[in-house]
Amino acid sequence: MQKLVLEICVGTSCHLLGSQDLIQMVERFPAEVKNKIELQGATCLGACGKGPNVRINGTILNNMTPEQLQQIICDTI
Amino acid sequence: MSQVTEVVKIRRKVFAELARMAFAGTLEKDIATILNTVVTEEGPRYRCCVHKERAVLHNRINLALSQPMTVSIAEAASAALQGKRVTMPVVNVLPEACDQCPIDKFLVTDACRNCIAHNCMAACPKKAIHVVLNRAYIDKNKCVECGLCKKSCEYGAIIEISRPCERACDLGAIKAGADRRAVIDYEKCVQCGACKTTCPFGAVGDKSFIVQLIQTLKAGKRVYAILAPAFIGQFGFKVKPGQVVEALKKMGFHDVYEASFGADLVTMTEAKELAETLAENPKSFLTTSCCPAFAGMVQKHMPEIANRVSTTVSPMVATGKIIRDKDPEAVTVFIGPCVAKKAEAEETKGIIDYVFTFEELAAMMVGAGINLAEVENTDYHSTASRDGNGFACAGGVTCSVIDTAAIISPEVKIIAQCGEGLAECQKILKQIQSGQISANFFEGMACVGGCVGGPSVMADRRVTGKLVAHFAAESFAEESVQNKPVSELLAKGGHWHRIPS
Repeated sequence: MQKLVLEICVGTSCHLLGSQDLIQMVERFPAEVKNKIELQGATCLGACGKGPNVRINGTILNNMTPEQLQQIICDTI
Repeated sequence: MSQVTEVVKIRRKVFAELARMAFAGTLEKDIATILNTVVTEEGPRYRCCVHKERAVLHNRINLALSQPMTVSIAEAASAALQGKRVTMPVVNVLPEACDQCPIDKFLVTDACRNCIAHNCMAACPKKAIHVVLNRAYIDKNKCVECGLCKKSCEYGAIIEISRPCERACDLGAIKAGADRRAVIDYEKCVQCGACKTTCPFGAVGDKSFIVQLIQTLKAGKRVYAILAPAFIGQFGFKVKPGQVVEALKKMGFHDVYEASFGADLVTMTEAKELAETLAENPKSFLTTSCCPAFAGMVQKHMPEIANRVSTTVSPMVATGKIIRDKDPEAVTVFIGPCVAKKAEAEETKGIIDYVFTFEELAAMMVGAGINLAEVENTDYHSTASRDGNGFACAGGVTCSVIDTAAIISPEVKIIAQCGEGLAECQKILKQIQSGQISANFFEGMACVGGCVGGPSVMADRRVTGKLVAHFAAESFAEESVQNKPVSELLAKGGHWHRIPS
């Protein structure tokens, strides 16, 4: 099965706006969900100031909160 | 864990915007746009209307510029650009942001079933509870807030409400004023910042000097950064210390020091002070002095033992003095997780010019267009020992003093106690005073976890605590006493103690 490619920006602007919370949320997923995700770090997704930004299978999403991202991941998998 | 809530995001966006404009030289012209970019017509909306949002933002901007709340943002910006700093407390309530939370302590909720037993009425010693509209009702004129009704209700239908700021403050320094807005009693406050992190409306903040510092950097002054040992991992778990140092230099800092170097010096001085104290009176005890909120708490709330607080300066001040001795024209900037350090810097005039939080520094980097994750990593090694770096975590100071004392004064038998959080510190100190606990050395930390748990950290202390330990383990020496440059400095003479005011 194709894995979900999830990139969470860890650039300073996104870090300031909470990207660490997103990473910690993903790390708390149970192993069977985590196995379906390929988590990659990104250093800039080109939308600083609208962060935290993530890219899921190529699509950039702005202003992510842990709750929203969790929902999107669960819906996609 | 440190959670970046919407309140935190707004504060950080304001910092980053101010920094961006200050670096670009457009602050005076563009400051009003912040009111439209950080808060937009489309929302999200947290208050009644966009006008209220902007009024709150006005407060936030003025505090970020270290200017009074009453002046216009244009005046505030112009004053900050001239480097002006108004004399005001470090921690302030933002009057527009305070939501005037209820002050009624006990409240009957919808869970009340108007039962037959009416335990609440029976329990109330003041006969303050009546049944109104099929539900228990507390008469506020009679209620003495004893809480017996809450305990007696079998449904748990009576709840106790406390204002988050009041609950967060271990010293009872923040209370509801006549209009129910929070008011800080500065006779009791030690600027620890607990209310700031707790208030869900973001109505308490600490003053910042972002614009003033940017102006200083732009003027080409020699600005020195002093990084608190807790900086490891604060800018992202993968960001290396070498990248932080490199980014600071890129931003215009002349040089970067670690406060942990000063911590090695503090360890040596404090270990000696402890040995001398105990030689004079073996039944005496000494407390640490590096946490300014703890030292302030003893001074304001336990003045009878103020003389037990070590007179050794803090690592921040020690490092500042070292820099100033080398370069009298230095501008010194301490960067840490702490709000109380801002007050300490003001009290010890002429050593530390600015105190920045990690959050303010990161916002400044964003404003300067520097992305730490993409900054080149240089091979960076700590200038401090393992023990000096350990100051970042609760128990670290104790560990350091014990290790060094074992080498320089092996005859001293140290019995140490540590306290985390001001309430715990007070409790343990009282027990030591009364002899319930036998200890001759006490480490007091105002924040749970020590500095890595400070009010302005940007990452979970459970993770950063481990990262600090890894970084410390790579130090060139274990004990502070092994730090040769520090020993050489001490051998030169001079003193490293607070001058009593």
